[in-house]
Amino acid sequence: PAAAAVAVSDESVYRSASGLSGRKGAGDQEEEDQPLQAVLVADSFNRRFFPVTKDQPRALLPLGNVAMIDYTLEFLTSTGVQETFVFCCWMASKIKAHLQKSKWCRPSSPNTVHIITSDLYRSLGDVLRDVDAKSLVRSDFVLVYGDVVSNIDISQALQEHRHRRKMDKNISVMTMIFKESSPGHRSRCEEDDVIVAVDSKSQQILHYQKTQGLKKLQFPMVNSCIFGSLDEFEIRHDLLDSHISICSPQVAELFTDNFDYQTRDDFVRGLLVNEEILGNQIHVHVTKDGYGVRVSNLLMYDSVSSDLVRRWVYPLTPEANFTDQEGHSCTYSRHNVYRASGVSLGHGSQMEENVLISCDTSIGANCYISNSVIGDNCIIGDNVVLDHAYIWNHVHIASNVEIIQSVICDKAEVKEGVTLKKQCVLAYDVVIGPNISLPEGTVVSMHHPEEEEEEDDDEFLSDDAEVGHRSDKTKQKVFNPAEVGAEGKGYIWKASSLDDTEEEELSQCLWGLVLNPDPESDSEDSETDGPDDPVIPSPEMDDVKVFHMEVLGTLQRGLEENISCDNLVLEINSLKYAYNISLKEVMQILTRVVLEYPFQQQGSHLTPSQYVALLLPLLKKWAPVFKNYVKRAQDHLDCLSAFEEHFLEQESHWAAMVKVLMNMYELEILEEEMILRWFSQGATGDKSRQLRKNQGVSTV
Amino acid sequence: MPGPYKETDLTERVEAFLSDLKRGGTGAGPLRGSAETARETTALLRKITAQARWGSAGDLMEIIRKEGRRMTAAQPSETTVGNMIRRVLKIIREEYARSRGSSEEADQESLHKLLTSGGLSEENFRQHFAPLKANVIEAINELLTELEGTTDNIAMQALEHIHSNEVIMTIGRSRTVEAFLKDAARKRKFHVIVAECAPFCQGHEMATNLSKAGIETTVITDAAIFAVMSRVNKVIIGTQTVLANGGLRAINGTHTLALAAKHHSTPLIVCAPMFKLSPQFPNEEDTFHKFVSPHEVLPFTEGNICKKTDLNHVPTFGKSFSDLDISSLSFFFFLNTSHFSLRISGEILSKVNVHCPVFDYVPPELITLFISNIGGHAPSYIYRLMSELYHPEDHEL
Repeated sequence: PAAAAVAVSDESVYRSASGLSGRKGAGDQEEEDQPLQAVLVADSFNRRFFPVTKDQPRALLPLGNVAMIDYTLEFLTSTGVQETFVFCCWMASKIKAHLQKSKWCRPSSPNTVHIITSDLYRSLGDVLRDVDAKSLVRSDFVLVYGDVVSNIDISQALQEHRHRRKMDKNISVMTMIFKESSPGHRSRCEEDDVIVAVDSKSQQILHYQKTQGLKKLQFPMVNSCIFGSLDEFEIRHDLLDSHISICSPQVAELFTDNFDYQTRDDFVRGLLVNEEILGNQIHVHVTKDGYGVRVSNLLMYDSVSSDLVRRWVYPLTPEANFTDQEGHSCTYSRHNVYRASGVSLGHGSQMEENVLISCDTSIGANCYISNSVIGDNCIIGDNVVLDHAYIWNHVHIASNVEIIQSVICDKAEVKEGVTLKKQCVLAYDVVIGPNISLPEGTVVSMHHPEEEEEEDDDEFLSDDAEVGHRSDKTKQKVFNPAEVGAEGKGYIWKASSLDDTEEEELSQCLWGLVLNPDPESDSEDSETDGPDDPVIPSPEMDDVKVFHMEVLGTLQRGLEENISCDNLVLEINSLKYAYNISLKEVMQILTRVVLEYPFQQQGSHLTPSQYVALLLPLLKKWAPVFKNYVKRAQDHLDCLSAFEEHFLEQESHWAAMVKVLMNMYELEILEEEMILRWFSQGATGDKSRQLRKNQGVSTV
Repeated sequence: MPGPYKETDLTERVEAFLSDLKRGGTGAGPLRGSAETARETTALLRKITAQARWGSAGDLMEIIRKEGRRMTAAQPSETTVGNMIRRVLKIIREEYARSRGSSEEADQESLHKLLTSGGLSEENFRQHFAPLKANVIEAINELLTELEGTTDNIAMQALEHIHSNEVIMTIGRSRTVEAFLKDAARKRKFHVIVAECAPFCQGHEMATNLSKAGIETTVITDAAIFAVMSRVNKVIIGTQTVLANGGLRAINGTHTLALAAKHHSTPLIVCAPMFKLSPQFPNEEDTFHKFVSPHEVLPFTEGNICKKTDLNHVPTFGKSFSDLDISSLSFFFFLNTSHFSLRISGEILSKVNVHCPVFDYVPPELITLFISNIGGHAPSYIYRLMSELYHPEDHEL
């Protein structure tokens, strides 16, 4: 035990020496004594890197020859995090294996890494709900994705966060870390562009909006009293979201309470909207120093890699070998050229600038390499030109090849005379060539795009990329020599379809299979639609119409899957709340939906007798649903008025009406007394009077 | 049995030290006090000596060499780590020789013998001596005491070198020089000119500290060094490392300063404690330099585009417009910044290479005198000190 005490005190000495001086406040000993924890989400929950991520999870893709997750863990460790929970979903076993081999799982690591895997995680929300369910976090924690590369010193933000939490208990739940970076900066991801309105004094977020795809922005300046009561606030568009946030334990609870929060954006939006009710606030910390970028698509991959090689992320430089991998140390020489051991360079080859070559790679004669990263054990032939090329491990490149701004994954092979234009991706094990030129933006993978669609319908990944790569796919499952060369192996996923009319930046952003410029709105749509909806409602539709559609969908599904009436009622009730529909409207819509149902299914050319034959069993089936809603006298009248409305529209089916009404009476949906009252009540129009007459005869 | 427990504790400490070295310079600027590094290294080596399992001096030297290689690899530019390891190795050799009964002088063979014998072989260290451990730890403790006193020892010599009404120039911030000047200021009045040493501008801190001690201080830009040099009586600088040939690896800008001093025949004095003496030569290119993030040279943000003051008036007249056109918004930023400075486009970083080196090499012929904790030496004498401090076989770890 004595030795243990020594170890602890020594550790704290080192930690305070590494810049976390403020950790030993006298007053808040309890808070400070808790080791700093972190939640690392090693899954992106989207498929930006598809099809590359089919073989390797994104967190393990090499960036500067080191897996991305290692950068994130190093960042956490250097900020003093002592316990990290890594949540994996897609290819969890690979991530687990990687981490267990790495230095993070050694007993001497100052940062204890727990790996939590589940196939059930579909979003960040699920992860945080699990954090809450397992009550993993005890105090403030750092929330970060597995693909964040950063050297930001968050100790100050952490202190501010703790201070705020101490001042007014539990008001501030999250501090988001932003980095100053002017619009158009290459490290800014178009998808993540935000406009943030911040209270200048308290750094509280007042408004948060993604600008992507928007031409106009709404600021609730006039309406909101929050804006009005402030002396000074800032609207900032020069912030780069580092995707690092310091969260209070309440964040996990809030995710549990609001099961519809999927992403951090949902969370922020939800919190800001409900600020007055719940009293939770979100703050920002803006830093000028440091580097913090999330590798969210291949374009970002390109820019982060080059920043890394240009030493912006110091001390996380390639030659530092911070992962302690054997034999991965490299030497650094001028013009940012890094060479590991065992690299051989042929006669006349030039490494111009910003080049990183990992160990045991051999390069032929008269090559010209600039701004590139080359992995382990690659063999590169003569007269090869590489510019902005990212070549992973065990790649073979023959002679006379030209590669510009492309990614080549492990074990791919590029045969003689191949030219890869900008933004090509060769996934694992692909063979290209010889003597072929791939156009801009070509993606080649060993997986057939077709098989992908078949398999992955139930996949969690938001299917935004799916839309695009249908363009040029080949039906037959043989390699097309016209596309990949005579000896080539692989399928083209997406031919160059860069839209020239689009803005330059946007089309650049398409690299990395970002084919749908607005995935967010897309996924929202798919949530609101029932999967079997005949018509997809546009988001502008008013609630009543959407509700109508939903009820129809629900009943349809109920019929197909034989769902019990109780559950149908439950579903309709939740829909009622979701769209804020009054009970009266529910009644009317329900009645109309049921009465229209046969038309909906068979078309409007039914004869009255056919109609009745179809409708009566339905009524019998759904009688409990009606009985649930039709209780009070007024309900009966509402139901009948909807009934009347329906038949007013369908004059040809008047003959059927009597039978339907009779049936409803017999099923005890409607009471006799009410029918009579409805009948006796003054009819409003000529037609309805006629209708009553027609119907009254038979009832009596 | 606390044996294995101690082992893990030890590896933990070594790992912590290693990662600390690797991250060296994230928080407090690129230069951490090398005196602290030297002390930490020595303390760690003492711990290794005390806790690791070894039977003979040879085992211990092997362990220390192994750890030493890792430590030096963790931060090649921090030479004090390697120096301390060599010092400790030398201590072990001496203690071993003493235990065997042979005096230290006997090890010094004649030139002829050295040439023919081909050096001492490791087999000589296999003998076991019970008191060796205690002796080595004792000697390391002495080394630590010596390290504690270095700055004071150097500062004590200040009065011999600084005279009244002199104008002294220095560059950046060196703790040793600061102590040196402060010590002289107790008795003498003189003027110090500090070159700020952009982009990290440690010179500012130095100047503040000096003026607090009552020394008349002026800060100049690095570009003004040559112009001011004609008025300077003496240049006193610190250094990061003293190289084997008597040259320096010092903070960026020192070479300019040394050349200017040479041109004006101003004496250049280097305050360097002995632990900065490294057997490294300046031709080892890969470990010589240290390049840090270019952030200080060209801010990543490329100028503060969105100035707070620019936007403050928006809500005052903008209460009526709640819709803001995003294109006009960025245009608005553009207009505002163009008043302040030329806007650097976001593309600049991909087109321009920005480097931020930390060190300069200063050749020995530009240096007049070294002041170490054991006295003053000429650059040509450094090789001699080297052979006193380190064993020739330890130059290569």
